[in-house]
Amino acid sequence: MSVRQNIRDFFHGAAYGAYERELRMQAAELNDMFLLLCYMEVVGLPNPATLYLLDVYPYILEQFHLWHKRMGMDRSPLGNLPCC
Amino acid sequence: MRHLLDKKVLFFGGKGGVGKTTCASATALAASHAGKRVLLVSTDPAHSTSDIFEREIGPEPVELLPNLWGLEIDGAIESQRYVANVKENIQGLFGHHILKEANKQIDLAASMPGAEEMALFDRIGGLIRGEDTRFDLIVFDTAPTGHTLRLIRMPELMEAWIRALSRSRQAMLGIAQDDKTDPVMISLSGRLEGLREFRARLLSPRISAFMLVLVAERLPIEETARAIEQLNEAGVTIGGLVVNRILPATSPDPFLQSRHAQEVIYLDEIDRRFAKLPRVKVPQLASDVHGVRTLEALSEILVPLARQR
Repeated sequence: MSVRQNIRDFFHGAAYGAYERELRMQAAELNDMFLLLCYMEVVGLPNPATLYLLDVYPYILEQFHLWHKRMGMDRSPLGNLPCC
Repeated sequence: MRHLLDKKVLFFGGKGGVGKTTCASATALAASHAGKRVLLVSTDPAHSTSDIFEREIGPEPVELLPNLWGLEIDGAIESQRYVANVKENIQGLFGHHILKEANKQIDLAASMPGAEEMALFDRIGGLIRGEDTRFDLIVFDTAPTGHTLRLIRMPELMEAWIRALSRSRQAMLGIAQDDKTDPVMISLSGRLEGLREFRARLLSPRISAFMLVLVAERLPIEETARAIEQLNEAGVTIGGLVVNRILPATSPDPFLQSRHAQEVIYLDEIDRRFAKLPRVKVPQLASDVHGVRTLEALSEILVPLARQR
């Protein structure tokens, strides 16, 4: 690692370090919001855009996994949305 | 009606049984005679264009006559086709495990109520955007009014949805990573662009017009008035009214004379209430319309009558 990189990391840490936890939480919350919008009919809400979301499902599968882990559930809580 | 043949997209709508299919078919036929390459599309789940042309028409355009193609869109088939297409698109992009789960989810989503309607909408959107360059004019023979008006409001609704989704995604990415390279964002932006173009063409008075077919009776008049209101609200151009099956005044039969006397009152009402819109009047023909020959007769009535106006 170059000296330049080290300096950059130092300042990045100095500026953002204190807020990192909060930023991560905010990102996670926005992530959950997006997941909910994508999987609305799984929780019983009609979603007019379902068909247009089919091709993004594989990308958000991983996020779904992260979500149920983060929520403290080892397995997918939704029977019709298998994960692990 | 002559000027209507210069549009790219024509819809025929109205109450059930007033003669949407015959009017749409006759107009398509007239346009094909005028040298346009015309696609006649039926979106009514109870298709009847194949009955009029007395031959099978399926989910792919078939040539019926020179310059005239027919297409009957089926929601179930479109939904299967859509799903197959998505599965093929993601095939090379993911590993085996993710694909297996994703395919399960895709099948589930495609079986949800509304998926067929949405697939139908997607196909219609493609046609209106002019994806099939073989045709100059697309004539839609639509399902009865209520169903069709919903379909016409859909691009707006969908656009709002997808926009909300991309905003949510963008907010999320703003914190974590760049949104130009995010595949979800790219997919959503593509959808949004397609919907915008669909809506722009649907609302352009130069490109699209909606024809309302009615007969001179109470219920069709009221339904037409409501349809006009809703189409205006949606911003769709109304090309005009076709007042279908007007009885001749010459009959000596007292029953027909009484019907005719009542019809005159309704025709007056139509002229009064819909004074701002162009109106074409079509007399009751001696026989019902099916087969190209009788259709030919109707198309001659529809187009020259309009030419006089």
